[in-house]
Amino acid sequence: MTDALVSLHGVSKAFGGVHAVENVSVAVHPGEVLALLGHNGAGKSTLMKVLAGAYPLDTGEIRMGGSAVEIRSPVDAQALGIETIYQTLALADNLDAVSNLFLGRELLTRYGTLDDYAMESAAREVFRKLNPNFQNIRVPVRSLSGGQRQVVAISRALYFNARVLIMDEPCAALGPEETRMVHDLVRTLKAQGVGIILISHDMPDVFALSDRLCVMKNGRTVGTFRTADVDEDAVLGMIIAGRLPSGLESCTRMDDSR
Amino acid sequence: MLSRFQISALDLRLSIMAGVLVTMAVVFHLLSGQFITAENLYNIAQQTAVVGIIATAMALVIVARHIDLSVGSAMGLVGVLIAWLMYTKGWHWVPASVAGLAVALAVGLYQGWLVAGLGVASFVVTLGGLMSLRGAAFLVASGKTQPVADPVFLMLGGGLDGAIGPRLSVLMALALSAWLIARTLQRRRQQRGHGLTARPLWFDAAVTLSLCAAAIVFALAMSAYRIGDKPEGQGIPVPVLVWAVVVMVVSFIVNRTRFGRYVYAIGGNPEAALLVGIPVRRVMLQLFLLLATLVTVASIVAVARLNAGTNSLGTNQELYVIAAAVIGGVALSGGSGTVLGTVLGALVIQFLESGLLLLDVDIGWRMVIVGQVLIAAVVFDVLFRRATGERVA
Repeated sequence: MTDALVSLHGVSKAFGGVHAVENVSVAVHPGEVLALLGHNGAGKSTLMKVLAGAYPLDTGEIRMGGSAVEIRSPVDAQALGIETIYQTLALADNLDAVSNLFLGRELLTRYGTLDDYAMESAAREVFRKLNPNFQNIRVPVRSLSGGQRQVVAISRALYFNARVLIMDEPCAALGPEETRMVHDLVRTLKAQGVGIILISHDMPDVFALSDRLCVMKNGRTVGTFRTADVDEDAVLGMIIAGRLPSGLESCTRMDDSR
Repeated sequence: MLSRFQISALDLRLSIMAGVLVTMAVVFHLLSGQFITAENLYNIAQQTAVVGIIATAMALVIVARHIDLSVGSAMGLVGVLIAWLMYTKGWHWVPASVAGLAVALAVGLYQGWLVAGLGVASFVVTLGGLMSLRGAAFLVASGKTQPVADPVFLMLGGGLDGAIGPRLSVLMALALSAWLIARTLQRRRQQRGHGLTARPLWFDAAVTLSLCAAAIVFALAMSAYRIGDKPEGQGIPVPVLVWAVVVMVVSFIVNRTRFGRYVYAIGGNPEAALLVGIPVRRVMLQLFLLLATLVTVASIVAVARLNAGTNSLGTNQELYVIAAAVIGGVALSGGSGTVLGTVLGALVIQFLESGLLLLDVDIGWRMVIVGQVLIAAVVFDVLFRRATGERVA
């Protein structure tokens, strides 16, 4: 029985009168992949943006390593080791791959100016790990392929040593080759004890990678299960109808072991 | 081939623009017989400085997907205020200029807060500024012209004594050359030190040396201009020196500081800038303050050039400043543009104005032509971006 790496307790977030997330509790443990499932608008991305610091939460609590933490901005989340790979990738298209990797967290010289050479050589090393063929790291990322852009977004999580990694549809725009790269990366990070939250619509991905899965509907959790205990039909039933399959108990307790 | 030399689309664009400038100079010279003369080049350099100084920061504002239409009126307010403090109130020019800067920063803070803090469209905020700051400029001295006579202050505007003389000019050109060469060598050393490939040596040398040559030729041309029976040539005019310093400082900010990088990131993808934790509001506010500072510098130069502050100072300058930025390759869709481009853009406009004037083209036609050249520059921009694979938003 391991302690949760990060846990959200009774988290709610509303925009105007719309309750995007209501009283949701989930946790992810070290070396665990938690899949977050649900229709568009179910509240998955909002929940993750709360954890990533993009949206401050209305009510509820976020705990890391057993103590409550305050996440009011992306900088707060980054400082706690929470990295996010957004579905939109969050890249500045006009800047090159190196600048994007370090965006918001540039390496500085001792005079406080940008240390471009240090950033470039560090970036080359990270990119080489992810894709040895990725060479044109000094051109605007708008001219890169979908897979290369994904590498740039992923490299942020890798370089800054994520403890918790949120991946929002990481394979949606990728070919089979690049999808395998992402799968390998997830397994590597998992082996290193990183806690990964995977948002995906792709059932084969979810079943191949996740240890547990959490289904959301209309801003609430339907239930959380060990991936090994459910099959695709049961999961689809929960996503679409929001009902628990008969004979299966949700295991939402925070101290639940894997 | 381009990638071997690490020539970016930006470098290519700047080279093309430099080529356009040279072509314009040659064509105007052939037609008028007096374009490439020391006197004409001296006047062009001096006249372009005011627009050029503001255009460097305007480029950054546009890169960040905003606009400032109030810079001309702000020039009027700040300029007439400084002149009024000196002429009517008897202040020394230094405290008067500091007071002018304080007012410019206050205006920048107010407009920047409306834009960055409240999220009001900068077009609207600064359109209001365009109108009310012009009115405020009138209120300062009830519309009366405020002459200034301080000889040191007047040097800032160029003119008879407002140049640094041949010896210092050549010395500065040589110093700039030495710095350019040192920087290239340092870059090559650092690239090697980090295991990165540098450009071929001969290519780096050719680029650097031609920039050095341009600086030295410019200094010599300015030095060849003699006014009346003065024993020495003029040398580089002070406004051009001020402009050069502004260009270097703003380029440094763009290339070497977080602030500069964040301005481009915000322009490239505002949502991503927020998600990665860039303090977008603070950056935008600082940007408006930078622009206000340079507007103050430009109005000091303009007042010193005219020997007076009037409430109409800077009228329509916002149009020339924006045009210089746009001709210099700054995209109104945000995210792209260079400081050096605005220098070339401002020069293109002034070359055109000056050349057409020498050819006795009347004011109506001059305005028609300058306007169409602006459009031609943007058309080129669109086609260039398409050709270099940059998607056009």
